[in-house]
Formats: sequence, structure tokens, C-alpha cells
Amino acid sequence: MRPPATATHLDRRSFLKASLSAAGALLISIPLPPRSSLAARTAGASSAWCVYLTLHPDNTAELMSPVMEMGQFMRTTGPMILADEMDLDWSRVTVTKDEPVRMIRNDTGEVAYEFGQSSAGGSQTVRNNWDYMRRAGATVRRMLLEEAAARWQVPADTLIARDSFVIDPNGDRRLSYGELAAKAASRQVQPEQIELKQRADYRIMGKDAGVVDIRDIVMGRPLFAIDEDYPNALQAVIERAPALHAEIASYNKDAALAIPGVRHIIELPRKVEDHWPGGDAQVLAAGIAVLADSLWAAMQGRKALQAQWKNATTDDSTQQIQEFHRLVAGNGVANKLVDDGDVDAAFATADLVLDHTYEKPLFAHACMEPHNCIADVRSDSATVIAGHQVPHWIAREVELIAGIDALKVKVIGKRMGGGFGRRSELDFIREAVTLSHRIKGPVKVTWTREDEIQRDFFDAAAVMRVRAAIKDKRIVGWQHRQAQTRGRPEASDYFPAKVVSNYRVEQFAATSNIPCGPWRAPTQLQWAFATESMLDELAHATGQDPLAFRLQWLQPYREYEIKNWAAKSIHSGRMAKCYEAAARLADWKRPRPKGTGLGIAGHFTFGTYAACVLEVSVGDTDELKILRAWGAIDCGFAINPNHIRSQMEGGFVDGLNAALFNDVQVSAGRVVNDNFNTLRWMRLREAPMSIEVEIVDSGYDPTGVGEPPLAPAGAALANAIFAACGKRVRRMPIAASFKI
Amino acid sequence: MPIEFTLNRQPVAAPDDKADMPLLWFLREDLRLKGTKFGCGIGQCGACTVLANGSVVRSCLMRLTDAKGLSIVTIEGLARDEQHLHPVQQAWIETDVPQCGYCQGGQILSAVALLERTPHPSDADIDAAMTNICRCGSYVRIRKAVKAAALRSKTTQL
Repeated sequence: MRPPATATHLDRRSFLKASLSAAGALLISIPLPPRSSLAARTAGASSAWCVYLTLHPDNTAELMSPVMEMGQFMRTTGPMILADEMDLDWSRVTVTKDEPVRMIRNDTGEVAYEFGQSSAGGSQTVRNNWDYMRRAGATVRRMLLEEAAARWQVPADTLIARDSFVIDPNGDRRLSYGELAAKAASRQVQPEQIELKQRADYRIMGKDAGVVDIRDIVMGRPLFAIDEDYPNALQAVIERAPALHAEIASYNKDAALAIPGVRHIIELPRKVEDHWPGGDAQVLAAGIAVLADSLWAAMQGRKALQAQWKNATTDDSTQQIQEFHRLVAGNGVANKLVDDGDVDAAFATADLVLDHTYEKPLFAHACMEPHNCIADVRSDSATVIAGHQVPHWIAREVELIAGIDALKVKVIGKRMGGGFGRRSELDFIREAVTLSHRIKGPVKVTWTREDEIQRDFFDAAAVMRVRAAIKDKRIVGWQHRQAQTRGRPEASDYFPAKVVSNYRVEQFAATSNIPCGPWRAPTQLQWAFATESMLDELAHATGQDPLAFRLQWLQPYREYEIKNWAAKSIHSGRMAKCYEAAARLADWKRPRPKGTGLGIAGHFTFGTYAACVLEVSVGDTDELKILRAWGAIDCGFAINPNHIRSQMEGGFVDGLNAALFNDVQVSAGRVVNDNFNTLRWMRLREAPMSIEVEIVDSGYDPTGVGEPPLAPAGAALANAIFAACGKRVRRMPIAASFKI
Repeated sequence: MPIEFTLNRQPVAAPDDKADMPLLWFLREDLRLKGTKFGCGIGQCGACTVLANGSVVRSCLMRLTDAKGLSIVTIEGLARDEQHLHPVQQAWIETDVPQCGYCQGGQILSAVALLERTPHPSDADIDAAMTNICRCGSYVRIRKAVKAAALRSKTTQL
């Protein structure tokens, strides 16, 4: 396999902005030209990129991560890229704690990031920052080299940069970056003199690095927005309509105001708008906010409200899933999203057709840190402190709600206690901004766990009927027919589109009121569950080994053009290598004891390939035990192998949790199971004892790892259960069918 | 009568009108010790775990009045100082456990209590004791770190 050429073209407009701080530190910001069209679209067409770097006289360096942390490790990975190209000594690097979001208005007047792409989501942050961070680092390295060359009166090309020093190999002398920084700042570097390092020369990337904030984490230091105190802020909790679309019927305002410390009771209106993945949804529940001097007082006030509600919807998630089954089983016409080749002919001439239906329930996000936001809306400016995946949207919301110019909004991004897509929603931001605007003072809104699960934007429930046609033991046709809670039918080539030439996807329009939103690797887990379960069923139905069947089916190994989440092509050989590597780690062919089995599954999304093998045992009376797992991932060049392994481990566990337990029930428009006593969540004892990971280095440029590892977990589990006991599970939550 | 107890080796007196307030909120809101995290409020997730006389307690369920006379240790009080981290904290760093990091203070304290009681835990011991939720799914590394800390404590005084 030949890797694609790396984009190393340096634009003539590259330049640095350097200045000296009062303490003699060099502050550098590095605007670079516009990025790819995809990134520009998601960022709102930003026109320049920037990284902030401070070189101190004591030769330490402080970097600001381009993207905030939510457990995806970008605060470690982003700075690693820059530090390596700069030849910094990683042990002398620190990363700033907070991330003020710099914003501008783009040509169409929309609020956008002034520098680069600071949003976290879509496994895009490495992809989008790879070229930029390297070019920035290489530019600064060249400035430092030229400054040292001038001092020593030697050509810059005879010098080397190494571990925060410029070294003259001929003169046995060196100068620290800290010593050079102030003067280096005024150097103009010619773009043609900026040379990116070869991979063989990386000294930081490609090696294991640990979480940059680890000491703060293990010592319990305040890092999250929920840990922030803001001067004179009132604490707000909100009693929200428990059922969808409900309105306030009555509440006891006086009783709440009688609680010592309670200052204001404010009604918040319901809001409905078009919402991803399509259609009008309730994005803000009707609520009654209790603002008090302390959070505890606000919570007592909330209880005292004794709120009553009216006009709720009748949504029932169980009935809706039953309706999805009726739709996919019937002959009703669905939206035909993909129709490659001649699917009908393939089925007409097949030796064997399998027709199975797979089901998944609503998934909750359950970010470990309940939502919270501090807003201080003044007459012509505002400050908002929050952990948010799309921080520039916050400024836009302040402008919409309070009429304050978005560029006068100071947005402070904090480390997020989990994001998983939920922290790209705006509800908790809107609440805080609205309340602060109303009382003309600072407010901190804090949600409870019940608030968070009741008012979630779920991963849609779905029923997927997959029909597959076999001729001469090979797959010749595939049809995926689906109905789901919400979702605007859009064509997208999920794996194995194109790999199967006669391929059709049909999807019914959604009618539910249950709001849905992005959930880590949106819809990927369900697709992989249906696809990889069916692949397994086909292998067994034709008497083939599930691994060998997949490897043969993917041949010839080649690239296919596709339109998939942020990917333009898929290479069947890269997928095959991941299956092979995971199987090798698992010692796939070794016979297991009776009742123990291995399941394999893989998935491609966001440009990354992941496969895993899971080992489970199933007892005589259906006692299910998750034993061990092995995984392989091809995410191009491995910038930080440690954190790629960590994402594989965590993503796979998250996927297993979803497949086993994550199951939100809605009845009469209301979430039934709204905390961890009723919505079961995986604990350590249910997780694999070990997860061994191989990183397959295909030589490609790096792609993201936040989402792809999760997707194969559900199918790997179902396939392992089949291997262990011969029972085929086609319905999540899988824990409903076994004892675990 | 103020409610008196020991917090991170220092005496604390809380006003008795806060008797019913959960220890979690007293720590976070009154004392501004933010290392003890709010996760579920019903004692399920363990993000709010503290040690009370060396045993694990879910501080969201402990009324302040019930803390009277106890020795409470929060994640902020686990290390003697910046230079002397607890062996469990060191093992957490060595194993690079955290992802988002929100639950890890509670996980570390649960591990400390386990190792105080069972210095060389089996996998079954770890399964039984480590019941805190990690939403990011860092369980494999948590298990590794507990074992690494057990090895460390052979040579280091807990």
C-alpha cells in the first residue's frame, strides 16, 4: 500500500506574530492560511489558524492546546505535534489550563474562530490540526536557528535544533530557546526555508506520552467548569418539565421563596427548533428556575416548588420500536438513499439469502460531569465559562438572547467531564445566559443527573432489517432497511458500501418527538452491530470461519471512493489488516473451552479502521461473562501510541456498555430510568479483564481515534456470544437476554 | 452546637443548621474543595467518594451531622504534599489512567481503601471493591493501576 503524498506545501503568506512579554518571554501567534474546505465548513469558514506559544527565558515553553479536552487527549496530542516540529524538550512544556476562545466574524457575518478549528467532535481534531501544528512548529524552529546562526556568524543550515537548544555541532556550543527567543521574534523566515521533519526524525511523536494534566487530576485540583466559582454569582437549579413538550400548570412560588437564601423564581419558556439529525425537536424544556445564594438553598427551593405540568406528548419508546419493526418488515415505501448496482437481480440469482432484523434502543450520554454553565451578561459585554465542544456557538447564543455583540463575549473553555456529543448542545448555555440576562447579574446553572438523562438528546433507537445474498459462497447483494426515532434521511456510505457492489439502503422518515443528537460516533455502533452480525451469520451459514470469510470477502484489497463521515475513500486492505491483527493477538484459532467463544467485528468511520475480538463465556443458564478483548486500529501515523491504545480501551468499553446496558425508556413522553439506579452502567467487574491493542501503521497521515474504536463492540459481543453458546442476539440491550 | 470533624487532618466545625446538608455540598460549596465530584446524587456512581476513618463513603449520601467525630479524607488530602504523592496516585500517573478525569479522584480513594484493607488484592477483590463508574471506560487501566499500587506499597509505606 502506498501512502498518499503528505500535504507539506507551505504558503507564501505564512508569517509569525511575535511579541515580548513584560517578563521577557516570547509570545508567538502563528496565523496560517485557510484550511481544507471541510474544516472551513464546520468551523464557519475561519480565515486563519493560530497557536499560542510562550517561550520563557528559563527555557520552558507554554502552549495553548488548539482544542479543549474531553477525554479525547487533544490537550496532549496537539501540543506534541507542535513541540516535535519545534524540537522542544517535552519535559519543559506545559499547557495552559483554560482556553479563551478567540472569535471573529466571517465574510457572511457569522461568528467563527479567529484562529483554526477549536471544536471537538467528529474525530476531526487531529486531522484538522496536523498540517497546521507541524508548519507552525517548523516555522518557529527556523526562526530560532537563524537567530543562533546570526549570533555565531555561521550558516543556519549547519546548526541543529534539539530538545529546546540550538546546537553548533562544529563549535561544541549551544544556546537555549529561552535565550534566543526574544531576538528570534523579529526574524522573518522565508517560507521556502521552512522544512517539515521526516517521520524518522520525530523525537516526541510516535512515542508514548502521558496526560499533560495528570498531576492535577490525581490531586483533585479544580479543572472542570463545575468546579468554578464566580464572584457574586447566584446558584441556579431548574425544575424542568419532566415530560416532552409539557408546559407549566402550577407551582408554589411562595414556598420556594420562603427557603432562606432563595432570591428569584424565573419561568423559562420551552423552545422547539430544527435539530440534528433532522426535524423539529424540543431543544429546551419549559422550566422554573430557582436562583439562590447557595446551590443547596436552590435545590431546596426547587423541591418546594411542587411544580405541576400539562400538555405532555404521549411518546412511548417501546411502542415506537414496535412500529419500527412493522415498518421494516412491511412493504411500505421508504426513502431509497443508496442503490448501487442491481440489488434485485443479485437477490434473484442468489444461492442463499439471509434476512435478519437488528434492534437498538435509545442511548443516553450520561457525561460524568453534569451540565453546568456560568454566565455573566452585562449591558454590552458578557463572560461565559463552560465546558463545551463547540465554544464559538456560545458567543452566538449570547448575541441572540441578550443582543450583545458576539465578539464582546468572553468565552472561557474548561476541561469537560465527558462530552460524547452531548456537550455540543446549547440548552444549559441558553439557560444560564437567559437567567443572567434577566437578573442582570452572574449566574451559575447546575444540572442534576436526573436532569441530564431526562433532558438528553439521545442516540436514536433503530430497527434495521438486513438482507444479504450469497452466490458461490461470496456476498453478491446487500440491503439495509431501517426505521429510527429521528433522522433526516441522508445518503452516507457506511461500511460495507461499495465493497458490496449491489448495495441498497432504505430509511423511513421519523415521526417521534423524542429529541436525538450526536452521540459518540453517531449511528456507527448500530450500523456495525447490524453489518458485522450479518457478516458473522453469513460465515456460519456457509460453513466458513468468520475471520477467513471477512478476509476473503474484502479481496481484492483496494481503495473505494465513498461519501462517509469525513472520509472520501475506504481501503479494504487496511480493514483486513485490522481484522488480522486483532485475531492474531487473540490467538484466534486456538480452541477455547466449552462455553467460551471469540467474536470478531470491525468498522470504518471518520477515516479510521478498527477491529476487535472479544472473548466471553456463557453458562448453562445464560450467565454471561466478558473475559478479554484484543483490538487493532489503523489511524494512520500514531502520534501518541499510549493514548491511541487508551481510546481503543475506553471506546471499546463504552461500546460494550452501550450494547449491554444503555437503554433509555420513555413512557408518556417521560424518561422512566433517569439515574444510575435504573439506567444500568458498566462497572469495572463487567469490563474486560484486559484489552490488548495493536496499532497498524499503514504510513498514512493521522486520523482520529475518539469514535471509531467504539463502533465494533456491539457486534463483537453478539458474535462472541454465538461462538460461546450458539445463541444469536439481534437485540440490544444484550443484558436483557443474559445474566450479567 | 457546631458539627465537628477532622478533614484532611485539620479540625473543621460546621454550623449545625447545615446538619442535613450532604457532606458533598459542604465540601464543594462551603469549603470550596472541588476535588470531590458530583455525579449522581444517589450514591451510585462514586464520583463523590471520600474516606471516613479509612472506609469508602459516598459523600452525596452522608449528612453532615453523620460526619461528626469522623476523620474525613478527600482527594485533596491524600498526598502529604506536592512532593509526596500517595502510592496510589503515583500508580495512577505511571499507568496514565485518566481520560476525561472527572471520576478519577473517587476511583483513587476507592483503591486506597481497598489496599488499606487488602494490600495484595486478587482480581475478585478488585472487582468487588472498585464499583465507581468511569464513563470513559478506563477500567482496564484502573485495574492495572490498583495492581501497580499494591506492588509499590510492598516497598513504600502507605
